[in-house]
Amino acid sequence: MNIWLRQHSFALRQAFRNALGAPASFLINAVVIAIAFALPLTGLTVLENLRPLSGQLVVEPEISVFIDMDVTRNDALALGKDIRRVLQDSKHPGKIEFLPREKALDMLKQQSGLSEALDVLGTNPLPDGYLIRLPRFDNATDAGAIDAIAASLQDLAGIEHVQVDSAWIKRLAALVHLLGVVLVILAATLGIVVVTVVFNTIRLQVLTQREEIAVSQLVGATEAFIYRPFYYTGALLGLCAASLAMGSVALVLRPVNAAMADFARLYASEFMLVPLDPLATFMMLGLGALLGVAGAVLSVSRHLSSSATR
Amino acid sequence: MIEFQQVSKRYAGDAVALSDVTLNIADGEMVFLAGPSGAGKSTLLKLIAAIERPSSGTVSVHGQDIGKLNRSGLPYLRRNLGLILQQQRLLPDRTVLANVMLPLLVCGAARADAERRASAALERVGLLDKAQVAPLSLSGGEQQRVTIARAIVNRPQIILADEPTANLDRDSANQVLDALKSFHGAGVTCVISSHDEQILGTAARVIYLKQGRLVDSWPARTTA
Repeated sequence: MNIWLRQHSFALRQAFRNALGAPASFLINAVVIAIAFALPLTGLTVLENLRPLSGQLVVEPEISVFIDMDVTRNDALALGKDIRRVLQDSKHPGKIEFLPREKALDMLKQQSGLSEALDVLGTNPLPDGYLIRLPRFDNATDAGAIDAIAASLQDLAGIEHVQVDSAWIKRLAALVHLLGVVLVILAATLGIVVVTVVFNTIRLQVLTQREEIAVSQLVGATEAFIYRPFYYTGALLGLCAASLAMGSVALVLRPVNAAMADFARLYASEFMLVPLDPLATFMMLGLGALLGVAGAVLSVSRHLSSSATR
Repeated sequence: MIEFQQVSKRYAGDAVALSDVTLNIADGEMVFLAGPSGAGKSTLLKLIAAIERPSSGTVSVHGQDIGKLNRSGLPYLRRNLGLILQQQRLLPDRTVLANVMLPLLVCGAARADAERRASAALERVGLLDKAQVAPLSLSGGEQQRVTIARAIVNRPQIILADEPTANLDRDSANQVLDALKSFHGAGVTCVISSHDEQILGTAARVIYLKQGRLVDSWPARTTA
């Protein structure tokens, strides 16, 4: 075994020795960090479960195009080609249906219950129009593109007004975005908590072992040799805490899923919350270890800058 | 070669520990530092080990200016030094053997090799049978010998000993002194501070300090 490996192996053993030397203290710190981890981890698990679900909700937003009253029926029918070209240019070809003003009035009478009132008018106040359905739109990502199509249609000659029914798509997209932002802020805040707890834990260990550190310095230990075990301790703490947090979240999912099963059945769904996939799990464990090392590095740096033993 | 050139050391509050000291210690020499408490003996040893830095002047060890040594270079200087301080500074939660192994492990020695060499060092100071006990269970003289074993385990070129026989009975003091003399016999440079007139009486070279100044040196043997 070369010296580098031997030194790291020594540091790792020291880290385990530190942890096992005060198991209660190590466990309490790991639990505190695990709680801080568990909150964003729960949020991430829920969001990861909802993401494919929301992806399945492909919507068919409708665009209503009202033709200018002065445009003749033939010209109104000819406008269909221009509308189709706009849709093709936007790479979202949809279903286009011409709606003559007579048919529109009949529909209004049937749906609104204002038949008698409309009869009083004597003339048909509605223009010819087109109803466009865009079947390929994804609610989460393409809401903004609908507005762009509507604006292009509005620029066509002979078009009086374009009405888009995309408000609810925007609201959903905004809500998902908001959830993501809240999760990031929550994760960042609790990341700081994790680093702070590890910082304090390592600081106490450094203080406890100051005599050992001083003796090691006197017999020729490098700073890397002295402080490496603390980095491993930080990583170990972060890793244990992340494992505890992931285990806790997995346990919590069971009662939540049991409670949600009845609710999901009402919507003929078998929806269940599942833990993160192996790659995400691995990444979360890595993040835990990384935050632990970050806390240890900060703590050791502070000790080095204030150390007068040299 | 250890060289002091017009070295002064002042601590906070302008307390002068050493003042304008110039001296040379050749390789393989055994030198005793004598003088009353507060004369600057410990400070002189700490300057050689770079535990303290000179306020003015230069201290060099094997041609290397200690004052200009940076943090990363410090461990490599100390690996060539065997330090025996007044306080033994043994780690109480480790066995005697583990304490003696420490200088080897920090240099990257394999555990088995470190154990073998530490055992040899303990045997040399007559404490191999105490290898697995805690240092605090040993007498003062035995603890001092463990410190010597720790100091010599890495085969240093220089041993610095600060009052190694203080608070020891005569037999223990003689054992410690014999151990140091045997290392000197093997070519190791030894710089030892001591109050003990009996030990100083047998010394080949003595440097006398008083109030931080070098007041006398071999061949003159008069106490200042």
